[in-house]
Amino acid sequence: MRSDMLTSILTDLNGSSADIEASGVISTDGLMMAAVLPANLDEDRVGAMSAAMLSLGDRTAQELARGDLEQVLIKGEKGYVLMTYAGKEAVLTTLAKPNAKLGLIFLDVKRAAANIAELL
Amino acid sequence: MAHDFDKLTQYAKSFSGLTPELESFLIEAGTEIKPKLGGITDSFYEHLLSIPEAKSFLEDRVESLKSMHKRWLEGLFTGPYDPAYTEHMYKVGDVHVKVNLPVEFMAGAMTLINNRLIELVVDNFGDNKERCAQILVAISAITGMSLLIMQQSYQEASLAEELEKFLKISGMSRTLFTNLAAAYK
Repeated sequence: MRSDMLTSILTDLNGSSADIEASGVISTDGLMMAAVLPANLDEDRVGAMSAAMLSLGDRTAQELARGDLEQVLIKGEKGYVLMTYAGKEAVLTTLAKPNAKLGLIFLDVKRAAANIAELL
Repeated sequence: MAHDFDKLTQYAKSFSGLTPELESFLIEAGTEIKPKLGGITDSFYEHLLSIPEAKSFLEDRVESLKSMHKRWLEGLFTGPYDPAYTEHMYKVGDVHVKVNLPVEFMAGAMTLINNRLIELVVDNFGDNKERCAQILVAISAITGMSLLIMQQSYQEASLAEELEKFLKISGMSRTLFTNLAAAYK
C-alpha cells in the first residue's frame, strides 16, 4: 500500500519533466523502498550507492562547516544524479539527462521529497 | 565474528606441513627440550630489548611477557596442535594488533625463536643426524603454523580496525556498509 503510494509519487516526479529518467526512494541503510528505474539499473546498487553518497555528503557538509546537508549532486557526461533527504530515514535519488534544467528539477524533487517524508 | 578454527588449523597445517608424525617428534623431543626453554626466552627478550623499535613495546612488561612466552614455547613441545591451539594463537595475533605492534615484528620474533631452537636442538640431538633433522623440520612446521595463524588474525583484525575507522569517518552505518557490499557481490 505504502509502496504503491511511493511509486505513485515517483511516477509523478518522473512525469513532471522529460529530463528526469529515473527515481527511487531508499532507506538510509541503503535498501530500496520504491523505484521507477530503467531495466538496466540494478535496484540494490542504486539503493546502497545512493545512501552511501548521502552519508558521505552529510559528513562532508559537517566537516567543511556547510551546515545541514540538503542534497548531493553528481554530474557525469551522461547526466546527473541528485540525492536528497526525504525525511530523516529516507533518500530520494533522481537521475536526469545531461542537458536537464536543474532549477525546475530541484523544485520537483523538493516537492516529491516532502510528499515522501510525509508518507513515511 | 565466529571463526572456524578447525578449518584454520587444517589450512595452517597444509602450509606448514605439520603432520601427526612431526607432532610426535615434537612431543618426544619435549622431554629433553622443555627444561631448557627458559634460557631461550631470556635470550629472546634480551635480543628484542636491543632493538630500539621493539624495546618501546616491551618496557615494564618484560617479566609478564616472559612467563607467557615460556608457556607458549612449552606448548610447542606439548601439543595438542588442535583447534584450541589455533584459537589461542589467533587471539595472540589479535592482541598484537590491539597494541599496534608492527606486522613485521611477528615474523622477526619467530625467526629469532627459530634461530635459538635450532641451536638448542643441534646441541642436544646433533649426534643423531636423522633425529636432529626430524626435530628441526617439526619445529619449523609448528612455528610456521603458529606464524600463519597469527598473521591471519592480524590481517583480519587490521581490516576490521580500518573498516571501523572508515565507517566513523564516512558516517556510514555498519548496516549500510553491509548492504553496499552485498549489492556488489
